[in-house]
Amino acid sequence: MALFEIKGVSFSYPERERPALKDVSLSVGAGEFAVLCGKSGCGKSTLLRHLKTVLTPFGKRAGEVRFDGRLLSDVPQREQASRIGFVLQSPDNQIVTDKVWHELAFGLESLGEKTPVIRRRVAEMASFFGIQEWYEKSVAELSGGQKQLLALAAALAMQPDVLILDEPTAQLDPIAAEDFICTLKKINDEIGTTIILSEHRLEGALPRADRAVVMGGGEILCEGGASDVAHILKEKADPMLTAMPTPMRVYLALESAAAGHVPQTVREGRLYLQGVSGGRPPDTPDARGLSIGRRVTAALRDEAHPLIELKDVWFRYEREGRDIVKDLALRVCPGELVCVAGGNGTGKSTMLGVVTGENKYYRGRARTLGLDPKKAGGRALTDAGLAALPQDPQTLFTRATVFDNLIETAAACAKRRGEKPVPENIEADVRRVCALTDTADLMGFHPYDVSGGEQQRTGLAMALLTRPKLLLLDEPTKGMDSFFKEKFAAILGDLCAEGMGVLMVSHDVEFCAKYADRCALFFGGGIVSEGEPRAFFSGNSFYTTAANRMSRGIIENAVTAEEVIECVKLYIS
Amino acid sequence: MKAGGAARSIFAGYHPLVNYLWFGYAILVPIFFTQPVYLAVSFASALAYSLYLGGRKALKFDLGFVLPLMVIAALFNPAFNHKGITILFYFHYNPITLESILYGICTAAMIGGVILFFTCYNALMTSDKFIYLFGRLVPAMSLIISMALRFIPRYTAQAKRIASARRGIGFDVSSGGFFTRLRNGGEVLSVMVTWALENGIETGDSMLSRGYGLPGRTAYSNYRFDARDRILLAVLAVLMAVSLACCITGAISVMYYPMFIMERVRPFAGIAYVCHGAVCLSPFALELREDAQWRSSRAGISAKPRARQEDANGTF
Repeated sequence: MALFEIKGVSFSYPERERPALKDVSLSVGAGEFAVLCGKSGCGKSTLLRHLKTVLTPFGKRAGEVRFDGRLLSDVPQREQASRIGFVLQSPDNQIVTDKVWHELAFGLESLGEKTPVIRRRVAEMASFFGIQEWYEKSVAELSGGQKQLLALAAALAMQPDVLILDEPTAQLDPIAAEDFICTLKKINDEIGTTIILSEHRLEGALPRADRAVVMGGGEILCEGGASDVAHILKEKADPMLTAMPTPMRVYLALESAAAGHVPQTVREGRLYLQGVSGGRPPDTPDARGLSIGRRVTAALRDEAHPLIELKDVWFRYEREGRDIVKDLALRVCPGELVCVAGGNGTGKSTMLGVVTGENKYYRGRARTLGLDPKKAGGRALTDAGLAALPQDPQTLFTRATVFDNLIETAAACAKRRGEKPVPENIEADVRRVCALTDTADLMGFHPYDVSGGEQQRTGLAMALLTRPKLLLLDEPTKGMDSFFKEKFAAILGDLCAEGMGVLMVSHDVEFCAKYADRCALFFGGGIVSEGEPRAFFSGNSFYTTAANRMSRGIIENAVTAEEVIECVKLYIS
Repeated sequence: MKAGGAARSIFAGYHPLVNYLWFGYAILVPIFFTQPVYLAVSFASALAYSLYLGGRKALKFDLGFVLPLMVIAALFNPAFNHKGITILFYFHYNPITLESILYGICTAAMIGGVILFFTCYNALMTSDKFIYLFGRLVPAMSLIISMALRFIPRYTAQAKRIASARRGIGFDVSSGGFFTRLRNGGEVLSVMVTWALENGIETGDSMLSRGYGLPGRTAYSNYRFDARDRILLAVLAVLMAVSLACCITGAISVMYYPMFIMERVRPFAGIAYVCHGAVCLSPFALELREDAQWRSSRAGISAKPRARQEDANGTF
């Protein structure tokens, strides 16, 4: 029997012409694991919020939502609070109290449970999630992944029948995200809780889900098992196809069958590729011969005048503390996009701080745009052409609209350059940057009202107004869906073509492999290995892209799905 | 004693109610009853307990801060107060009296004792205990305090992040002229407010989603009131009642001016001193008993340690 029955729901936000949901019908059965995917802004969150009365947005609505046979609006709040668990996107915002134990008890306190009942449930949750070790800790001491796990445990402590999760992994690094999805699967398998998950990182979620629901423009485009959905998307040539896991994309590009199982995991993908190539061919095809998808920038690169030059740099935060950056060497030249990948807490962001002078190194030699960042103030570096974009672009916005933010920055930059602030010039400057970053459509919006990817581009526009020669980016692809990533990469490509140097710190292996000119692996305070992406990633065996893991031993040196597809087409079939 | 004993304190393991009762007595009694014997006992036990809990660090604090403060307090009274009939000498034509010196010393002991008890409080009492107490009095308060404790550090961190992010594109709070800096600082504040309001919505959603606002909310705590709490609470209550009764009925009252008179002859005074001393020293005594028990039970463990056992012992 269906737990949730959504019938013909349409919805529009006040003062927006375009409806956010158009005649959506969907039923989710008890015990199901459903994944909701689609471009950001396609109405996923709006739909999920219709599944719990207290979270339902205001606006014009039609259609009905039934929960367990009754109209949702007739289900008492107390019952909804307990039976429908909801986990939101931001790990920080959704945690209310200061201690882990208190957060676990929060919902049960609301329900008015007595202390012995709460004690038992909280103990159960702590044991199930393995959080007894940080049970007494302050929330502030936890990592992002731990916080999100806590939010999940806090929802589960109320013993819900269904868990609804709105992009819960968007703010997490890939390893924490994978852990989180595994935990969801465990809850689904071992407790039987129904799970409705919206997600843009499909690599982990899709193979574990029973059903995929693809949304676009406020409508449900298709739904069904992952393989069925994939075939339908291919038939429609829908852009959502590019967001699918690498093995699926490779399979769909190579096979013409309109039905049948589509490999979803790296293991299945490997088996498929081995089948296609008929075991290991005597002369393994090599992707180095391909010339697709990669910019040729060597000619643009000005090796003689590096923008960043770090030699044996050491840094620590406290005199008695441990070294966070050790023996670090790095060069970034004009016209190249350098990506530094590596795990959480290895000191990647600290390294950016050394480059900007925020963190003063104590040994070695560092030059940023020819200046010593330790001695030159932040202002001198900005004047020399350094711009840094923070991980959270929200920290940059001071004005109520995107336009005002850009104008304000442009005016301040013009003043700093010693120019007279002529309104025409300033506006022209803003228009130039908008064209580069594709933010012209956002002008009238409040910067908090646009999506994460759009916020990131607005932040980038603000940084570009300082006319930088060197751009530092900290995890810019966090929370971006695959479409935005492509757009973002194109923008960075244009900037590099104009001779800008970009240093980017990222967890996003797939992005680095596809778009970087040079990749480096950061570990234990320094750079362990570096190289051109193809050489770099095919040299790694674990810390590498899904395409590379899938094609290892079958195709040499292929690191992106496109390269795998191209190689199979050229050399194997 | 090298490291402080706060981490393994046995008194901290008692129920917050017992903790607060004791701290309430220990801190308030010296303030309201400036009786020399009481003050001496309070000060001595506060000193002993703070040194036990804080170890070497506490000694530094006591000598470097509390002692000078006490000396100043002790000198302050005779320097400005010339009441009393026993004039010892004249200082710049001002009479310095025995009574005012005595009163100054008592004030110093009071100030010192109270500060030291507060250092013990800081070492032992966590925000959880504080929240628990308020949750008992006003259930809604416990949540509000807990949220405040979460948000204050979070907001501070965010303000730093905003300042650093804005520095990254050239808006530096710490450089430029006075007005530029003022304006940039104001911008940080304005971003902060927008950020707090915007992100608060999600926090609100998360609270609503977990049933906040339903009638009949309870306040949960991790603490249990068990037999050992009951016993200690009963003992402390009896001792405190006797001691306070003696204070209030004037059985141990003291006169400082014009002449120092301490009525030691009354038979109740002795009982009162013993009771007060027992209350003040009880946590310290509990800690010492626990340490002794631990040592004797450890004596049974084989003397031939494995490497790891050595380590574990080394931390104590």
